[in-house]
Amino acid sequence: MIVITHQRDKCIGCNYCIELAPDRWAMSKKDGKCTLIGGKDRKGFYTVHATDDELEANKEAAKVCPVKIIHVKQI
Amino acid sequence: MKDRKIELMAPAGNFESLTAAIQAGADSVYFGVEQLNMRARASINFTLDDLEEIAKRCGENNVKTYLTLNTIIYDHDLSIVKTLVNRVKEAGISAIIASDQAVINYASSQGVEVHISTQLNVTNIETVKFYSHFADVMVTSRELSLRQVKKITEAIEKEDVRGPRGELVEIEIFGHGALCMAVSGKCYLSLHTANSSANRGACIQNCRRTYKVVDLEDGHELEIDNEYIMSPKDLCTIDILDKVLDSGISVLKIEGRGRAPEYVYTTIQCYREAIDAINAGTYDKDKVDDWMQRLSSVYNRGFWNGYYLGQKMGEWHDTDNSIATQKKVFLGKGVHYFPKTSIGEFKIESHSLKKGDKILITGQTTGVMEMEIDQMMVNDEFVEEAKKGDNVTWKTPDRIRPSDKLYKIVKTEEKGKLPVQV
Repeated sequence: MIVITHQRDKCIGCNYCIELAPDRWAMSKKDGKCTLIGGKDRKGFYTVHATDDELEANKEAAKVCPVKIIHVKQI
Repeated sequence: MKDRKIELMAPAGNFESLTAAIQAGADSVYFGVEQLNMRARASINFTLDDLEEIAKRCGENNVKTYLTLNTIIYDHDLSIVKTLVNRVKEAGISAIIASDQAVINYASSQGVEVHISTQLNVTNIETVKFYSHFADVMVTSRELSLRQVKKITEAIEKEDVRGPRGELVEIEIFGHGALCMAVSGKCYLSLHTANSSANRGACIQNCRRTYKVVDLEDGHELEIDNEYIMSPKDLCTIDILDKVLDSGISVLKIEGRGRAPEYVYTTIQCYREAIDAINAGTYDKDKVDDWMQRLSSVYNRGFWNGYYLGQKMGEWHDTDNSIATQKKVFLGKGVHYFPKTSIGEFKIESHSLKKGDKILITGQTTGVMEMEIDQMMVNDEFVEEAKKGDNVTWKTPDRIRPSDKLYKIVKTEEKGKLPVQV
């Protein structure tokens, strides 16, 4: 299992995470920021549990995020 | 020189800087909200809900307000662009500074005044004519010389180029602040090295770092005197401001939405005095020396006149970050203000404060207040020094507030001598 965290309010809507992990990320047309699909909001930090097969793509997404607000952890 | 009113435009990254700009005599302010502005990476940015408050505070002081919406825009941004433009209209913000045609087109269709950002690199009269269908004010490219700017302003008059308002198009140029090592907005270093696009307001400033040049064939490092080979000095025009104004511009813009409120205060105050001095015919070398000294006291990377006088090569910065002659050290926060006696109470949370120290108080409503301590009290007794943990009071020139921050101003070289905190 992995945990993905997203500090959404700092997102600048660059779209890279979607390019790298399109199954887990989607762009909100409402505010132009990225949304972590399935993410639950805890004081601005969105978190979701996912299976290991999503690890690589989301690690890449975390790596390229220009504002470093994506974190992926294996549990 | 033609007698025309010059608008002095100040950067505002937050409410503290906004208040400082108003206090220092700015005619207008520019600022960004949310993520679609060239300082999106900055930790503090205004939000959409701040627009009304910004319009209110500035309106009360007759200061115009401009929202920067000048990043490149993707399809997924179009909806937030519309929301921003609509909110600008509702809140009564004076205009939008735009570079993407999507923003220009929508704002103009909604009757919101548009200004053309320097990101569009306007460098000739034909481009001015093109954008005059949408915009009343245009920022020319920062790489133009004053002679080139003057040619454009003269052509606007001669060819009667008018914007949507029906008035002659106004030209705005940068007067002071950081410069880009590339033609503004045409740099992809940050994107290539860190995926962090300067054109989405997330520049990581590769150019401000030190570099080595290595011969890949034999591994020799080339000797270069200045390792900061890409970091331009900051633009400063206060010593040539008469020539700058003579180029026929209408708006003088100061860079620095990422800078501290006292930077905004000092810079705007100096340029305000300089513009007024030129209008009054009292602009002279002594005054310039004084302004230069004050400008050097706040964050800077060394000054040069930019490309305005037509130098072919840039001038490069050769030290680490700022060479400001003074720095601020955080001391503590405001506690209470006693209006009848004009006494402010502060709690010292760090370092110590001595009689004779220069201090700086900043706050969202207070703006910037600078003063020297000539008398202060701790526990109802006059003291020479207030230490960490003390609640100290003294007479302040204006009201202070509990959210205000208190700093001590120290000379840069003395900073290392500050007592270590235990």
